Amino acid sequence: MANKIVSLAEMARSIPDGSSIGFGGSFLHRAPFALVRELVRRGARGLEVIKSSPGYDIDLLARAHAVSRAKAGIVAIEGGLGLAPSYRRAVEDGELQLEEHSCMTIVAGMRAAAAGVPFAPVAGVFGSDLLALNHWKTVADPYGSGKETVVVPAISPDVAVIHANEADANGDARVYGSPPWDRELTRAAKRVFVTAERLVSSAQLAQQPELTLLPGFMVEAVAIVPRGAWPGSLHPDYDVDYAAVEAYLEPGDAALARHLAAAPEARVFSRA
Amino acid sequence: MPERRDAEYLVVNLARAIRPNEVTFSGVNSVLPMAACVLARRAYDFDFTYLSVAGGVDVFPKKLPRSSTDPALLAGTAAIFSNADFYDLATRGKLDLIFLGAAQVDAFGRTNVSAIGDWAHPKVRLPGGGGAAVMMPVAPRVALWRSEHTTRTLVEKLEFITAAGKTAVLVTPYAVFARDPAKNERFHLASYRDDTDPAAIVARTGFSFEAARAVPTAPMTARERAALDAMDAFDLLENELPRVTGLR
Repeated sequence: MANKIVSLAEMARSIPDGSSIGFGGSFLHRAPFALVRELVRRGARGLEVIKSSPGYDIDLLARAHAVSRAKAGIVAIEGGLGLAPSYRRAVEDGELQLEEHSCMTIVAGMRAAAAGVPFAPVAGVFGSDLLALNHWKTVADPYGSGKETVVVPAISPDVAVIHANEADANGDARVYGSPPWDRELTRAAKRVFVTAERLVSSAQLAQQPELTLLPGFMVEAVAIVPRGAWPGSLHPDYDVDYAAVEAYLEPGDAALARHLAAAPEARVFSRA
Repeated sequence: MPERRDAEYLVVNLARAIRPNEVTFSGVNSVLPMAACVLARRAYDFDFTYLSVAGGVDVFPKKLPRSSTDPALLAGTAAIFSNADFYDLATRGKLDLIFLGAAQVDAFGRTNVSAIGDWAHPKVRLPGGGGAAVMMPVAPRVALWRSEHTTRTLVEKLEFITAAGKTAVLVTPYAVFARDPAKNERFHLASYRDDTDPAAIVARTGFSFEAARAVPTAPMTARERAALDAMDAFDLLENELPRVTGLR
């Protein structure tokens, strides 16, 4: 079995500038935030973020001027902390080109990519200005029901990164609880990376294979990153660290530097 | 405390939108509907099913999480009803009541959660509508909430239509508007808070509406009051008011 374990820094370096990246999780929950920070540390530029409900991740990348495009359905910090301020500034300044979606329209695009077809139908959307804004097409039911359905083009991110609770060295990844859209994302992307809380043996995963969201053969590399979803939550291992999110939201370069230095991976790992 | 009263009015009147045996759902960035579903379970005798975006089925946490996406909404669930499940449920028309938020709402219950100013060159970039554009046309009923009730939030013409569809109810801190979601009709004023009146609601609303059927909102029942107090989540609920959300 292949050993696909790399350091977080190696993983971030293997994602080129300009890549489109789908991040797992939703808002402050189950997202590969350590990898997002590592992209900032390596000075990434020109990234595209693809995620139905990004928040801290896209805000951090916008704050570091690392993201220039996004496909997103709703963007906020959540947890009573309001909108994502750096993301908002980047869109208002024209630094970040947004393709505004309705969450499921991103997923429908990913389902198309996962299924190997060029587009996919999605319910609803009629009456929304998003239809014309995004030049989405509609098709009449070719089987004659008379129903008109919106179709969206396939979305295949260059890279998917998810944060798992457990992984083995082969990249088999176990997720507890709800994986938001991680399943669809990992089937749609061209390259798949996993960060995981804990390294476990393949034999352990084989005891309950239904908990393995992602088989290792689909995975390019895995980094073991304890508290890798910080300052977000990872069910059932830890809750959101709201004090850290609030500290992150303090304006200024010094606050950002303090936040990056306070991250678990900055304190635990030697910088490879 | 006026702000607490605003938040409580929103939660109680969102809870009152839930009908017996319905399947209802609260999404991301939706603390007020999450609180409304917990309140309804404790204060009303009828049964209903509550799905959350966190993936839980009928999870009514004792202590509300700060985020409506929080895995606290999985605690004790018998099943994970994940994103794909509840979206597909909604789009095949089986999610009876969906709660959605907005920055601006018009008289037909359409919403703008996208931008203030020109979409391409926004004065204010708003969060976006989440799944609203997909869900609103297919849900049997949608209940909206808006925590600021002014002429710039309840408007005759939206600057951008993020979502349109089967809105049945709009709750603000001062009033409850209703419309028949199956018809292409405008909101009417269903009820107003007992410290205000229809003329005051007209003055603070940017769209015109019929108020002939309006009555004072029924006072909070003892059981609704007790359920709110038991939640002990006043800080959390006040966080959803415009002072904090950035949606002003």
